[in-house]
Amino acid sequence: MIEDHPRVGRLQKDAVTESIVLNMGPQHPSMHGVFHMQLELSGETILAARPVIGYLHRGIEKLAEHRTYAQCMVLVDRLDYISQYCNEWAYCRAIERLARIEVPERAEWLRTMYAELVRVTSHLMWFGSVGLDLGGWTPVIYAFIPRERIFDFFEATTGSRLMPNYLRFGGVKEDVDPAEMEALHAYLAKDLIDALDEFDGLVTGNEIFLSRQRGLAPMTVDQAHAWGVTGPMLRACGSTRDLRIDTPYGVYDRLDWESCTDTRGDALARYSVRMREMRESAKMALQCIERMPAGEVRTKVARVLRPPEGEVYVRHESTRGELGFHIVSDGSPKPYRFRVRSPAFMNVSSLPHLCAGAKISEFFAIFGGIDNVMAEIDR
Amino acid sequence: MGLIENAERPNFILTTIDTLLRWGRSHSLWWCNAGSACCSLEFAAMGGARYDMDRIGSGLVRASPRQSDVLLIPGPITKKMAPIFVRVYNQMPDPKWVIAMGSCAISGGAFRESYSMTRGADTVLPVDVYVPGCPVRPEALFYGLLKLRARVRGTSNIGLAHREPIYVPPDLPPEWEAEVREFLGEHEAC
Amino acid sequence: MNARIFLTQLLGALGLIVILGFNVIIMDWWERKLVGHIHRRPGPMHTGWHGILQPFADMLKMLSKEDIVPDRADRLFFWLGPAVAVVPAFMALAVLPLAPGFALADIGNGLFFVFAMQTIMPFGYTLIGWSGHNKWSLVGALRSAAQLISYEIPMLIVALGILLAAGSARLTDIVNAQSTVWYAVKQPIGLLIFFITAVAEMNRSPFDMPEAESELVAGIHTEYAGMKFGLVMMAEYTAMLVGSWMIVLLFLGGWHLWPLPPSPVWLVLKLYLVQSGIIWLRGTYLRLRVDTMMEMSWKYLIPASLANLMLVGVLATTFKGF
Repeated sequence: MIEDHPRVGRLQKDAVTESIVLNMGPQHPSMHGVFHMQLELSGETILAARPVIGYLHRGIEKLAEHRTYAQCMVLVDRLDYISQYCNEWAYCRAIERLARIEVPERAEWLRTMYAELVRVTSHLMWFGSVGLDLGGWTPVIYAFIPRERIFDFFEATTGSRLMPNYLRFGGVKEDVDPAEMEALHAYLAKDLIDALDEFDGLVTGNEIFLSRQRGLAPMTVDQAHAWGVTGPMLRACGSTRDLRIDTPYGVYDRLDWESCTDTRGDALARYSVRMREMRESAKMALQCIERMPAGEVRTKVARVLRPPEGEVYVRHESTRGELGFHIVSDGSPKPYRFRVRSPAFMNVSSLPHLCAGAKISEFFAIFGGIDNVMAEIDR
Repeated sequence: MGLIENAERPNFILTTIDTLLRWGRSHSLWWCNAGSACCSLEFAAMGGARYDMDRIGSGLVRASPRQSDVLLIPGPITKKMAPIFVRVYNQMPDPKWVIAMGSCAISGGAFRESYSMTRGADTVLPVDVYVPGCPVRPEALFYGLLKLRARVRGTSNIGLAHREPIYVPPDLPPEWEAEVREFLGEHEAC
Repeated sequence: MNARIFLTQLLGALGLIVILGFNVIIMDWWERKLVGHIHRRPGPMHTGWHGILQPFADMLKMLSKEDIVPDRADRLFFWLGPAVAVVPAFMALAVLPLAPGFALADIGNGLFFVFAMQTIMPFGYTLIGWSGHNKWSLVGALRSAAQLISYEIPMLIVALGILLAAGSARLTDIVNAQSTVWYAVKQPIGLLIFFITAVAEMNRSPFDMPEAESELVAGIHTEYAGMKFGLVMMAEYTAMLVGSWMIVLLFLGGWHLWPLPPSPVWLVLKLYLVQSGIIWLRGTYLRLRVDTMMEMSWKYLIPASLANLMLVGVLATTFKGF
């Protein structure tokens, strides 16, 4: 009898299953940077996920206390290195509110245009990384082609592809060549939209992609509020919170655009919100180019700025959500406290909740939708 | 190939094999992806359609360090990340090279005075090529890669074992051990 | 044993090794170029004319890398794994004909022999993943085993349809039965199912769980360095060759291209067309999730292949000479 067989009997009675802990280590071949996740797995199901951050902690907030306000701009650029103009603008708004500096009209239009262009490039980068997580290199390579074209514009006008250091307190560094803006206008009006349609055909309509994203990791608005999630992730749950509309700055209230939302709250909704946001941002950039008034681009401001004592918190709609700068000044040329409320930090903190109970393959689909930047999380 | 590295006096066969191997290695340098920060975006752009590093055969970015030749360090090495980089470097099979990309990897860059940064990649790893920039333009990295290829192509391996070996100790300097242990907490790194 | 037969067989086996080598070289180059052009970039250009010497550079590099065996890995299986993955594919090549009379061993049940060899390959991939003493390779290995086993079934059932139509399991007979009309025309559903399952059996995208999805973290061949990794790559290309060759023989008429005279040139042409199609799939499609992939095989492909078999049976009995 098989029950009498000693070894089989022992195997069955003493068989013990335990979960394994896998390190999705800080070194891994996707485009997410040094993100370390400890996954406790039972077979293919994730029981618990624990993110470990800090591998890119450069001490930006502490370093800023030893630099003058203008020198901090270099650090601010490197916070969320994919959407630099948003960081710079948020920081400039904070200092301008603190020091009561006026910004000329044309500068506001220029700032808005650059912020929306960088939103397009950031979402293109996100699109590439979603493709890399789920498939292969093709979406990445395709997404980088419009990025390169927009970078050409950035380089011709500000001098650098990334890290432009272009915004200044009281405006922008210098005016933009009208020929470059014309060329960009032609590109945005037609070629970019063609490229986005091609991406839609390549990925969005793909049944494999849809089946991998549909219904995955749904999030309700209450959950999002509880976890501090903002930005496209929040708008995908049904909330209409968009700081560009709620507390308008720049020229957003004068442009013809609409904020993209979705009601389902799953991974496909997050994907769809960002794809539509790209088109809206391109539309906004086109309007900025067309309607920009002539004028000065910079208010004269002291070389070494000494804002009066006080503190300010400025909220900005960055590509990932609400970017906040809390600056405390004690009247000296260097900030007393420089604190960044990073949207990606809050968004990533929802990851353990979203992927509990999911499979390993689904983990990457969820993670792609969060669109994190380790530099911003770790600062 | 211990035969070539241990050779005292090269003969015709060994030099021919050496030339072939150097040619092969220089045309097939595969990257190890340990990307951290801003410069990794420009590295990705270099793999894109405009700059295309696959043109010279280096288009493969392998996930596993065991299958790669070149460790690229794009961006700052923080003290918490340093043991990971050293471990990845030690996992790579010989012959291997390291490219330090960007001023953060060369000397600490804009964050040099920070409490949590190492002052450059060469404090923990032996670096072959330094590519300056912040961030490094893809053309500049391509140039650095071409220089590395020239070095791989031009440096003979005959008698290499008799030269000073480069040994990277797996442990960090003792003054960092305590700090890093505190950062890492009770779980294993990587 | 007759010395002449032994020598011819030995030469034939060596010839197959040469064919295998040529295929790996050509496919390595062609894959990088084709994927490059899909990505709107030129691919290797400077290693010889248009990168034609790139596979040689890769090979020389891999031969001269340090051979690392992880400390706690099972040494025997670490060495044996890639061999168990390559050798069955290589043995399957022995029965695949290039032209009538041009097979090393054109046995009476060549069809079943190829599938029998294909059934051994999951062992190879599982050993590869298990022997590295790495949790991620293990996960990849188990997934690979599940995938390969579940996609064999629809493949076999569709091949039964071909067997029914041709009336013989000898591969030469199956091809000669297609001298005027290919089975792709008579059994299109069969071709579709066979193509999907063949791509899954080769571990190619969109079914590349073991080699790439875990690439996001690791892969079954994480711990393989140097020439062992080269051997794993060779296993993949050989599996691709065998799979495409089967598609060409069973469905695309082999060496027939009516009304032109039959010749091995057509077979080689079709072979590389099919392989290019598989590379095209890789450059375009995303990866399937593991459970979606299993679902597709068990819930969709098996019923479809059974329906195909029934349809073929009905047609074969009603129409003479189907």
